[in-house]
Amino acid sequence: MNLRIENLFRNGVPDAAAVDDFFSKNRFPLVEPGQVTFVYRGQADEVHLRRWISGFNTSLPMQKLEGVDLWALAMELPGGSRFEYKFEVVRSGNRSLVLDPLNEVQAQDPFGANSVCQGFGYKRPDWTLHDPEARSGTLSGLQIDSKAFEGRRDVHVYLPARFRKSRRYPLLVVHDGPDYLRYADLKTVLDNLIHRLEIPAMVVALTQSPDRLVEYTGDPRHARFIGEELVPELAGKFPLVNDRSARGLMGASLGGVATLHAASQYPDMFGQLLLQSGSFAFSDLGHHQKGPVFDPVVRFVNKYRKSPFALAEKIYLSCGIYESLIYENRSLVPLLQNQGMQVNFEEARDAHNWENWRDRLRNGLTWLFPGPLWMVYE
Amino acid sequence: MARQILLGPQSPLPNLRQAVDSLDFDGPIVVITAGWQDSEGEIDELREDIGRPVEDLMLYQRTEEVFAAEPELGESQRERQDKLRELQRLYRMRLSPTLSAARRLMLTEGDPDLLLLEQRAAIAQLRALDRHHLRHIMVLHRDFDRRRASLQIPLAIAQREAVHRLVEKAGLVLIAGGHVAVLLNRMRLFRLGELLTHKPVIAWSAGAMAMSDRIVLFHQKAPQGKSDAEVLDAGLGIVRQRVFLPNARTRLDFHNRTRLALFSRRFAPARCCTLDNGSMITLEDNQVLQASRTSVLTGTGRKKALEPR
Repeated sequence: MNLRIENLFRNGVPDAAAVDDFFSKNRFPLVEPGQVTFVYRGQADEVHLRRWISGFNTSLPMQKLEGVDLWALAMELPGGSRFEYKFEVVRSGNRSLVLDPLNEVQAQDPFGANSVCQGFGYKRPDWTLHDPEARSGTLSGLQIDSKAFEGRRDVHVYLPARFRKSRRYPLLVVHDGPDYLRYADLKTVLDNLIHRLEIPAMVVALTQSPDRLVEYTGDPRHARFIGEELVPELAGKFPLVNDRSARGLMGASLGGVATLHAASQYPDMFGQLLLQSGSFAFSDLGHHQKGPVFDPVVRFVNKYRKSPFALAEKIYLSCGIYESLIYENRSLVPLLQNQGMQVNFEEARDAHNWENWRDRLRNGLTWLFPGPLWMVYE
Repeated sequence: MARQILLGPQSPLPNLRQAVDSLDFDGPIVVITAGWQDSEGEIDELREDIGRPVEDLMLYQRTEEVFAAEPELGESQRERQDKLRELQRLYRMRLSPTLSAARRLMLTEGDPDLLLLEQRAAIAQLRALDRHHLRHIMVLHRDFDRRRASLQIPLAIAQREAVHRLVEKAGLVLIAGGHVAVLLNRMRLFRLGELLTHKPVIAWSAGAMAMSDRIVLFHQKAPQGKSDAEVLDAGLGIVRQRVFLPNARTRLDFHNRTRLALFSRRFAPARCCTLDNGSMITLEDNQVLQASRTSVLTGTGRKKALEPR
């Protein structure tokens, strides 16, 4: 058990004032090198820690501390790790998932919010935070009448600060773009990295699918939309560098599948791919166990694994080691490398979540689109 | 000898107007924005900032026109640039292990007397390498100048004379930041070094680097690729024995004193001066008359305020 909790009980069961004092003097969870201790205060029949970590028992019972309404659980946690969690509180047979009331660090995602456990030494990268010195790019809307989807598609377009029509810019197309803006601070990251000259000023198209479980799973309509509608439309509206190496495509999770699939259908279009925790499910033996949504994904990935080919110049892959997809991503690396593509693979002590993807953006973007920082001093 | 003012980046809070207002000059203001490359000449913000008319010398665009009309000169230039790039690559091959050895010697423990001698020797090796590199660069520049002298290039000469007339008439020359190699190259092509020695000049960021006698590329916190500071070229040499470090707050790792100490000692006796947003150094006859919000790196890896002297 954590030393600070042991000290609380050093002279027997602490009184309410001592417990209050303990809470006022500590930040929770209690983090120390190699270990973290979760604490919950309240009446309950049971309390469990629910970690959004794959490959481990995600529900761990917390220990009731004698004589007080405190529950605690200590666990190993390597330095620099990060994962998201909730408490599952059981009262009179009713189970409810709650945020950790003692932890103000939370992460948002399309399903709501989670509490965040930051292991010893983890620090949110400064380039993900608003920098008042960084000039701000602009976001605007663009509507595309898609023949592939037989309907209108809304796209957000990021233009860098000091955008000039007389210049030519690289293009990056982002799947789940609005989610990247909302949950991974993509606009702040772009503003900061461009300001620091770590990436060139670029045009970024942010797409969003109304039905990603279908369209991002290897859907030929989606690939056609990207390759034959979106990119030509953008090229007509904005001054873009007309060169494969200056065009990038990226996505996370199923967005990673959509990226790889679109690039496989239009291998001459994108030089740079950024794939984060891609759901690259495949089946070498028998049928996969991931459910019917993954049937088209497995068909596409199996086909590509059987007959791989170069579909970009450079590919940056990242994946959390606390997510099951690490297996699929790791096994993809040599396959891609063997096709002559440059591959940069990064593993993070994190899981399948937007802040993991946010924290890897600098490494990915600066590797794929190196900025002029070595020669330019503004 | 005219006065020079050197500034850091002009974003987010420009101090160019303050610098302009501090100088006593007579005549129009001209600006060199060749470091902005394709964006050269987009100086509306700059004019608004200083509240006076400014004319851009358009060195980048003039050069493009000259190279298009007189391809032999363009070809000579390309050859020189190719050689400079290749030379830089070869220099890096020697620089990396030499720097690495010096760093290890700065970090290791051992007999203090022996260690001191070895550290000094390692730094001397670094300095010798940088000197050798600079000498080799100057040979390439001289070769280019000789070749240029033998060419029939009436447009290049006419453009140079036009630029010289504008500079001679000007009361103040501004040199903006940007791509330092492009900026320096264009100023050298137009042979502005000698002319600018006699003019009041305000230069910022890459412009300040180009004013010095040695240009050092640096970024200790780059996310990818190169991170060993390297000598790029000799600058115009109007300011001597100083290495200017624009945006040092972002580019230097002030927590790593060993690295900063090595940086400072490698370029000594030149003084390594930071130029961040808001910095201002006023010089005359290579003496610092005034300095604000700027520091020099010390041999122990600290920074201290630059004092006038």
